[in-house]
Parts: sequence; structure tokens; C-alpha cells
Amino acid sequence: MRGKLHINGEWHSFHADPATPLHRVLREQIGLTGAKDVCGEGFCGACLVEVEGEPVAACLLPVALAECTQIVTIEGLYHDPVGRRVMAALEAEDAVQCGMCFPGMVMTLTHLLKTDPTTDREKVKHALVGNICRCTGYERIVSTACRAAKAMAEADVREETA
Amino acid sequence: MNLRPSLASTAFARRDASDKLRGRTCFTVDQAYQGHLQAYLLRADVASGEILRLNVSAARQMPGVRAIVTAADAPYQFGIGVADQRLFATGRVRYKGEPLVAIAADTLEQAKAAAGAVEIDIRPLPAVIDMAAALTEGAPLVHPDWDGHEVVLEARGARRGGNLAWESLVRRGDVDAAFARPDVTIVESSFAVGRQIHMQLEPRSAIASYIDGRLHLVASTQAPWTVKNVTARALGLPASRVRVTAPAVGGGFGAKYGCTIEPYAAALAMACGKSVAIVPSRAEEMLSCPCRENADIQIRSAVTADGHIVGREAVVLMDCGAYGGEQIYLTTMTAHTLGSAYRLGSVRLVSRAVYTNTAPNGAFRACNGVYNIFALESHTDEICQAIGMDSFEFRRRNVLGDGDLGSTGQVFQGDVLGPMLDKMALLRAKDDSPLSGKSSADARHEGWLRGRATTVGTWFVFVGPSAATVNLNPDGSATLVTAGVEIGQGTMMQSLPQIVAAELGIAPAEVVVHQADTDAVGFDVGVGGGRTTVSLGAAAVAACAEIRQKVTDLASRLMQVPSSKLILTQGRVERQGHPGSGMTLASLAQEALQITGPISGNGSFTRPGVAALEGCTSGHFLEAVDIPVFAVHDCEVAVDPATGHVEVLRYHVVQDVGYALNPSAIEGQIQGGVVQGLGYALHEEVTFTSDGAICQNGFGSYRVPLAQDVIPVVIELHEGAPSIGPWGTKGAGEVPILNVGATIACAVSQAAGLRVQQLPLTPPHVLAILQGRKLPLPPDHVQAWPARPGFIPHTTKSAKVADNLKGKDRS
Ligand code: FES
Ligand code: FES
Repeated sequence: MRGKLHINGEWHSFHADPATPLHRVLREQIGLTGAKDVCGEGFCGACLVEVEGEPVAACLLPVALAECTQIVTIEGLYHDPVGRRVMAALEAEDAVQCGMCFPGMVMTLTHLLKTDPTTDREKVKHALVGNICRCTGYERIVSTACRAAKAMAEADVREETA
Repeated sequence: MNLRPSLASTAFARRDASDKLRGRTCFTVDQAYQGHLQAYLLRADVASGEILRLNVSAARQMPGVRAIVTAADAPYQFGIGVADQRLFATGRVRYKGEPLVAIAADTLEQAKAAAGAVEIDIRPLPAVIDMAAALTEGAPLVHPDWDGHEVVLEARGARRGGNLAWESLVRRGDVDAAFARPDVTIVESSFAVGRQIHMQLEPRSAIASYIDGRLHLVASTQAPWTVKNVTARALGLPASRVRVTAPAVGGGFGAKYGCTIEPYAAALAMACGKSVAIVPSRAEEMLSCPCRENADIQIRSAVTADGHIVGREAVVLMDCGAYGGEQIYLTTMTAHTLGSAYRLGSVRLVSRAVYTNTAPNGAFRACNGVYNIFALESHTDEICQAIGMDSFEFRRRNVLGDGDLGSTGQVFQGDVLGPMLDKMALLRAKDDSPLSGKSSADARHEGWLRGRATTVGTWFVFVGPSAATVNLNPDGSATLVTAGVEIGQGTMMQSLPQIVAAELGIAPAEVVVHQADTDAVGFDVGVGGGRTTVSLGAAAVAACAEIRQKVTDLASRLMQVPSSKLILTQGRVERQGHPGSGMTLASLAQEALQITGPISGNGSFTRPGVAALEGCTSGHFLEAVDIPVFAVHDCEVAVDPATGHVEVLRYHVVQDVGYALNPSAIEGQIQGGVVQGLGYALHEEVTFTSDGAICQNGFGSYRVPLAQDVIPVVIELHEGAPSIGPWGTKGAGEVPILNVGATIACAVSQAAGLRVQQLPLTPPHVLAILQGRKLPLPPDHVQAWPARPGFIPHTTKSAKVADNLKGKDRS
């Protein structure tokens, strides 16, 4: 099929079998390689993209079902203030190693900060259940998320009291 | 010359983090669809068989197919220790999954469809799937033609024959006399461990193009020069006709230390003149994974009542799979892992690499060490139990100290492990408070068994040749050119620019690090063995010394100041003691263009070599280690007696780092390495189908640690141990995984009050231990002591072996 996808605020056309997983279309046809193809089975979270505001494993989403939705990839998340905050915090924490898992990590943590910001490490770990990292041993990523949540809460308080 | 304390900025952040976070970093897999053909490998479906027919003519006619290559196109043999391998199964299949045909087509789907059109007829042959079967008298041989394989790395006294790919031996002192002493307790232990899969997130991958008679490989590799040399050898090309570049690598852990899939892309690109990408699926990646090898270890010791180890002997069997590969080399490591850490009166170690009809194994972080330390430390605890000595006390008394002899007779320098144990005791005492913030967890552990263990381990930095070029640019910045690859460890992003910056008196941000390119710089062994900071760092330091010399010579002429009075600091060359005098490096580098020409320096490094005792080793590639690295780990576990589930409550590491160039980076490596070890110890399990294929084929069936499985590791970096590394550094990325299996196993054993002999400690396995249902150890564990070095399973061949290798047999 030929179709169109709305990604990071722009339209892109593609030509693929309707059942082709979205991440392959992103990577192979549109040139957005931030979403990684690691397991292709929904286990690792390296391919996460935002669809209608929710993180979704793009490897499990047939491209035909992604038509007419609002898609934000990691490339677009840089323009989201919370996304950018997460990226800056991970960089400051020296959390990144090989980097393959981080586009997906940023997707999950951004969503967590937006929907349920928490400084409870166990809760953050629970939220990361679908993100595999083979390099870092996770703890710095968890610390970063907690610290970012705290900083955001403090910023909110400052805004309210201002 | 030693500039480190004032100038090294120890918190230098990585420059690649931002792009990695934004999804901008272009890994090899991210370049694979930029107009390249796609390659697919047709693999054998039997463990062992004779290829009766292979016809690709119908496949060539399939849509989109641009090139097909087979065994006929690549008849050349290669290998690390023994040249026993070809790119494709040739005449004979030796493992399920062995490549038969490589196909390049416009799309991957077309290449796969064409694979379906290949006509193959393979007559199945009897196979040996495990080492016990392989070592049985009269077992089918994986390489009936083993005798004809070229030995690439000669080592005197090596033995091989039949399914025994390689045997190495360490012998120091009179072991038999030690075991015959009337005053010793003899403790015997056996252990078995399975394979471990790297599961690095980016699969091995490569893009090959063939231009002007030269191959260019863009490869996701840890060792560009290995890829260059092996590809050339496998395709029968001069190495000068192969160029390898390596972009950012999405994890390696050893999976990308050898050359595996790159030559297929290269052969296809040569065949059709177009660029070809090869990116295996996760399932293919796992089927052909160069795993950490499965191993069987038997060890026994003769110990006096006051805890002296007067004699020790061990036999280690390492499964190399269908081809010798790394394991032949790794037989050597047993001397430096199992044979190290403790003072031994006498020692005999036999280390064997064994062929089986399974996928060839490879390198994995702390190769050979992880399971040998598991065996060594479990055995140590069994000794303590047998002689009734506290296990911490036993270790404190017996660990290697200054002037002690290692297994091969190497003299160790400095007291390192002892003081590290003392530090661990303090760390433990500090952290012995009830588990903070875990009170709910504590309630959950009501009725669970608790265990705690402290272990020691010895590893080493695999030094070896490296080259570096540094250019001082006219703007005062420097460019570092090496064949080093950034695989996530941070060395290329942090330590190396830090070193160059400090040596030249500029900011680390002013150091440009050139992407690894075998056309741009001299030989390098690759990223592995924790060697990058040490070897590339030392080469870079030497290159910088040449630049400093040139800079001060020229500045001395220009400034009329003796060069001995000049220093390089803060981007300037100035008179010592006169800050702000002299000139900027940038203006000097510009002046140089007209006077001497551009300023650059070349540096190189190789292992200086440390002496072992003459006659202690046979079949060895590395008789002594240049930079030993020590680690002390400690953990506390809770074991659920109802389910066998093990929960790690605390984990402490004291690691010998020499000098902590970048503590944040080192601690990141330790947390990551320990977690990878927890997977190995507890739930990463590789099993085999009856025809020798790895059962696990994805993240669903192979359980790597998730965020909820891990805890923060409490870390103390031990500085000051002797090291020949630049500024006293040691490699820090490899060793964190070393003792994890050992520490968990000892703690679980303590909790259960029972022996632990196998890893991983999955809940069913632990439950079996608790219920007294011992898992059967492999039958090759029937070990007749004393260990018989030189025992060749296929006896008719053994006479020939010694002739074949000219080396002297010392046993
Ligand atoms: S690639 Fe989609 S979850 Fe792993
Ligand atoms: S940083 Fe390598 S997988 Fe997470």
C-alpha cells in the first residue's frame, strides 16, 4: 500500500505492505533511525514512539494502523519540554553508555514524568519494565528519573508561589 | 612528565551522550538502508552432515537477486589459534546454523525468497553435541581432518588431536608430593556452567563496498584490524586491499571482538560491485552467537590445618563449538584466573578446548575468568568448611601479596588483594545496618534463607600492540587518530581525550577523536580485555611526547628560552613559573606551518613482557600478565525456600583501578558489569535442542536483567596498585563481571547450607538444591586424579600430535 504518516508535525509518505511494522517504515523509508530495531517482538522498548501521546512499541504496530495518528519519534521529542528535560538530566547524570536503549528510555521516562512523576525508585523501575538496557545496570537511569521528578515538582512550586 | 593530578579533569562528560539521547547517532544498523543491497545467509539445518549437492542456479534467477556466493568462492581457511574454519560449510556441516550460501538482493525479503530456491542435499552424520560426547572414546570427530589444519599461533608443548582442539598446561612445583603429604586435607570439587549470550542491543552488522579494487567495510566491531585481516584471509586478498571503519557501536561485550559476519558482506560486494549490508535478525544473531563458552571445571587442593594451600590441581574443559576460535587462546587464561588470586605451594592446571557440533563460541567480558572464579571461590569456601576456618580469614591469609608467585611463577608486585579485603570489611561494617528503605521487603523475606559471601578474583589487562597519531592543528586543537572504537565504554569519549588534553595542556573538548579507520592509523588489537585506556592511552601519551618535544623546540627558537624551561599549559606554551608568558599553542602551530611544517606525533605501545618461571607452561600464549587487576565482591542474598527464588539484597565491590582517571565512567562500568554478572549467575540460561541448536531465540526466552531485578552496587575504587598503564591506570570495564557468579553462588550456598556446583541459579535449580535433588553434573566429570596432562581422547592420533607441533612436550 501507499500511505501517509504524520510524524513530528510533518507528513511523510511510504510504500509498504500494510502489515509492515511501523519501526521498519520509519527506519528504512523515512530515514528516522532513532527508534531502534532490537528485538522486533515488543520486549526491549528500543523502538518506542509516541502515538497519540502514548508510548507504543513501533515493532508491534502495523504501519496501516499508524495512518492518521499523531506520531512523535525520539527525534521529535527533543522539541517537547519534558522530553528535553529528561535528555538533559540523563546527560548530566553520565547515564549513557552505548546508547542503543536510550531513545526508548527517554520515551518511557518522558511519559512517566508527564503522567505520574515519582521519586519512588521502585515505581520508576516498574515503569521501565519494558525497556532493556544491557550496558548500564539501570540504577543511574532510575536516579535521573527521580531527580528530574523532584526538580519538576520544585519548579511547579516555584511557579505557583511566584 | 606525570601530569595527571593537576590537569586530568576527572569528571569529563561524554561528548556522544546528547546525540545518543536524541536518536541522532548513526550506528551501523542505522546506515544499512541507505541504498545498499541486503544480505541473507542460508544456514545448515543439521548439526553434522555431508553436503552431497548445493545448487544455486535457480536462486540466481529469483527477483532482485544481485549476487550469490558459496564455499567455492571462499575456500581459504582461517582461525585464531588453528586455521580450522572457512566462511561456508565446505563438504561438511559442523553445526546447525553454519552458513552455506550468502545472497544479496534489493530487499531482505527477496534475498530470503532466493534462499528458499537453493537446492541442497545434506546427508546427516552422527554429531557430538556436548563435551562429554565429544571426549568419549571413538566419538565422531568434528574435524576428521584436524591433522591437516594449519596451526596459526604456535605455542611450545601444545597438544591437540581429534575433538581436543587444544590443551595447555601449567605446572609448578611437586604437586603429587603435596597431595601425598600426611598433614594435609584434600578437598575436591566439580562445577559446570552453561553459555552466556551477549545480547548487545545492536546486532553484529556490516556494510561492504568494493571500489577501485579495494574493499571498504563499515562494521559494528570492537576490532577493526581483526576484521580487516580475517576478511582478507578468508577471501584470499592481501590485507592492504581491505579498509575497515567503525562508527559508534551499540554494545559489544566481546560479541564483536572477532570477525564473524563481515566477510560475507565483503564477498557479496566483490561479487556484484554494489554495496551490501548485512544485519542479522535477533534470532539469527542468537543462533550464531559467539557465546561465553560452557565449561566443566574440576579442582582439588591439598591444604594444611593452618590453611596453607600446598598443592592445587584442576582440569578445565571449555567448549569451543565447531571451530577453535577464541577458546584455543582462552585455554591460556586458566593460569591467570583459576590459577591466580591465592598463594599456592605447587600447582598443575590442565585446560582443554573441545570441539562439539554446536555454534562456535567466542569472547565475552572477562572471558574464561567468570566461571573459573566461580569454581575457585566456591572451592575456597568448601576448603574453609573442610578445615573449619572462617572464609574471610582464609582469604585474608592466602591471597597473593607482594613478591608472591603466581601459578606460572610470575612474581606479583605490591600488596593489593589484602588491603582490598580490609576495605571490603570496612565497607560491609558501614553498610550492615538493616536494609534502608526496604522494610516492606524485609517483611516479605520472612522465612527466607539469608546468605552472605565475600570473594576475590584476579583478572588482567590484555595489553598488546596499539598505535596512535596525534596532530596539533593550526587552531590549537588536537586530533587523535587511533583504531580504537567507542562501544559504549566511554574510553574514546572520555579517557583518551582526557589523556591527550592533559599531555598537551589543552582542554579535553579541544581534542578531536577520529573514528576508527584502518587506513588512517597503525595496527591495534581491538577493544577488549580492558585494554583501550591502557594500550591506546600509552600510545597516545607517546605521540603527545613527540608533539611536546617539537613544540618546545620551536618555541625555544621563537622565544629565545631554553626548551627545558618551557611547559604546555592552558592552551599555551610558556615559561615555567611565568603564567601567561610565551604564546598560544594555536599561534605556535601556525608559525610551525612555515618553519617546520605541521606538527604531529606518532606513538606506539606493546606489552613490555613479564617473566614467568622457565618450564612452567606448555601450549601457552601468555605466560605472565603485565597488568594484573584484582577485585573483591561481597553480597547478601535472600532465598525463598518455597520457590527457589534468589533476591540480591546488597552488593559491594572494591575494585583495583590503578588510578581512577574518570570515576563516574568507571562506576558506570561496574554497575553495568555487575548487573550482567547477576544475569549470568541467576537467570541467563542457554539450552540446546537435541540437534545442537541454541533454544533461546529472543529476549522473551533469554532472560536478561530488567530494571526491577537490579540494586545499586556500593562501590569503592582501590587506587595505587602498580600499573604500567599511562598515569598508573588499569582497564576497568571488563573486570566488574568477574566475581559476580562466584559471589552469588557462595552466598546462595551459605544460605542453603549446601553445595552449589552449577550456574545459573534459576529458581528450579535452587529448589532442586534445597530439596537435595542434585542436578547431574556432566559425565566427563569423572576425573581420575591426578590430572593427566596430555591425555588425548583419540589415542591413535596422540603420537602424531607431538610431531605435528614442533614444540617440545614438557609433560
Ligand atoms: S524492537 Fe520493539 S520492543 Fe524491541
Ligand atoms: S546503554 Fe547500551 S543498551 Fe543501554
